[in-house]
Amino acid sequence: MGGVIVMQAVQTDPFSWIINLLFFAFIIIISLYGAKIQMWQWLKQIEVGLLELKQMFFESRQVAIDTFKRYGKDEKEVAKDLDRWLDYFTIMPVDLDPAGVLKRLDHLLDNRRNRFQEFVSDLAPQATESQVQSLENTLEVTQVLGLIFRIVRHFYILGKKTGSQILIMQIHMQMPDIMRLAKAYYEALDAFSEEKPIGDGIGPLVVTKFAHEMGATANDYVHEVTREVGYYKVKFENRDVFVLRATGPGGTVGKPGFAVKKIVEENNGQISRIITVDAALKLEGEELGRVSEGTGAAIGDPGPEKYAIEQTATDFNIGIEAIVIKEDEAAAIGVMPKQVLDALPEVIERIKEAILKRTKPGEKIILAGIGNTIGIGL
Amino acid sequence: MGIAGKIIGVIMTGTGMVLLTLGMDPNIGILSWGYFIIGLFMMSLGMALITGGKSQQVKKPKPPTITEIRCDNTECTFKELRDFERGDYILKPLDVSCPRCGSTMTIQGIYIVRDESEEKIKI
Repeated sequence: MGGVIVMQAVQTDPFSWIINLLFFAFIIIISLYGAKIQMWQWLKQIEVGLLELKQMFFESRQVAIDTFKRYGKDEKEVAKDLDRWLDYFTIMPVDLDPAGVLKRLDHLLDNRRNRFQEFVSDLAPQATESQVQSLENTLEVTQVLGLIFRIVRHFYILGKKTGSQILIMQIHMQMPDIMRLAKAYYEALDAFSEEKPIGDGIGPLVVTKFAHEMGATANDYVHEVTREVGYYKVKFENRDVFVLRATGPGGTVGKPGFAVKKIVEENNGQISRIITVDAALKLEGEELGRVSEGTGAAIGDPGPEKYAIEQTATDFNIGIEAIVIKEDEAAAIGVMPKQVLDALPEVIERIKEAILKRTKPGEKIILAGIGNTIGIGL
Repeated sequence: MGIAGKIIGVIMTGTGMVLLTLGMDPNIGILSWGYFIIGLFMMSLGMALITGGKSQQVKKPKPPTITEIRCDNTECTFKELRDFERGDYILKPLDVSCPRCGSTMTIQGIYIVRDESEEKIKI
């Protein structure tokens, strides 16, 4: 104790006040401007992500232009029309009065689809029907990337203008997820512009292979039960199976929910089971291509299609089950990975098992493969 | 930040450490403050050079898209793998015959092979 007192007593260094001053200045600066420094740091990090998003959007726009100009119009014309279309929007129906909201939503989605098809056909006059569908997908990916870029830029500028910590913090915290999604879309562009099958197409592919195994061919496919959806009627162990899918190899998901409804009604409700096969988002850590099954309609539409299946199943007391193949976003919208394709035999086995265990000979079943049919033939 | 920047950073950090240690020696009197401040400054600058800049992410080339063609004869196991060509789609019947049995051939798969080691956290 005595030693300490002696040490303090001999501390006569004339420069010690500089250190003390620096120390207090540091404490004051950090307590007054700490939040500002952190916001500046966050804004810089958002800026880095924003520049990457901008680059992805510009590159995807160029890919879209290059893809469209293969079908009859020059680059200048394509670029001008494409830019006009990139911020095309759809106003969701009012849900304050929820009665009939799905019918209205379905009507709006049909209208949106018509406008898209009209636009793509005008911009690519030499494209076939199937190519028009794939071009629509290319356009949609570019639109999504543009939308992500514009939203992040909006919050970045707004945060900078207002100095609002909450605005900046929110977008900063969401950046990793936003970047992941944007990268998945950016990488998917190759699949859509080159018309390669994507991971989401595993549902239609599985049911088509099932139908082919039962002896069906492309000529047996009944077209346009509903918009861009048809079916094969096959026999499996003395049961009639309506194998339903969107019509490929163009990129479309069609309206499979309403097709299920129509087939059930045409058969006077004499359908004993509805089995849906679709790709589902996997949780982190789960194996890519893992097969899972459950109860319900596996279909990821905004609502009307799923509602149509559920309501039909309920009205006619039909058993409903789902088989899904687990994928991440990149696999679902990017070129189909081998791990997903390798799940095919297992899914077909599970379909057969479900039919044999839960239906009787002589009964009718609907097997619906849900997903985008780009690059998947009949 | 290039490799040169990193090397300069290491040198500056090392020099800064030496100066900082010198600055802690009370026997050199007033100079110790100078060494201390300069050493601290050089060390932080050196560390900034080492850790600064975006880490160089090696952009992996996209995995090639493979088209798998199989013989339609169920008893023949002939399979051909080739690069994807525009116009290919799954279940597309081809105009070529199987070199083994002479049957028709169909595209049975189009896929990419994703690197399994991409998943870094395994529990």
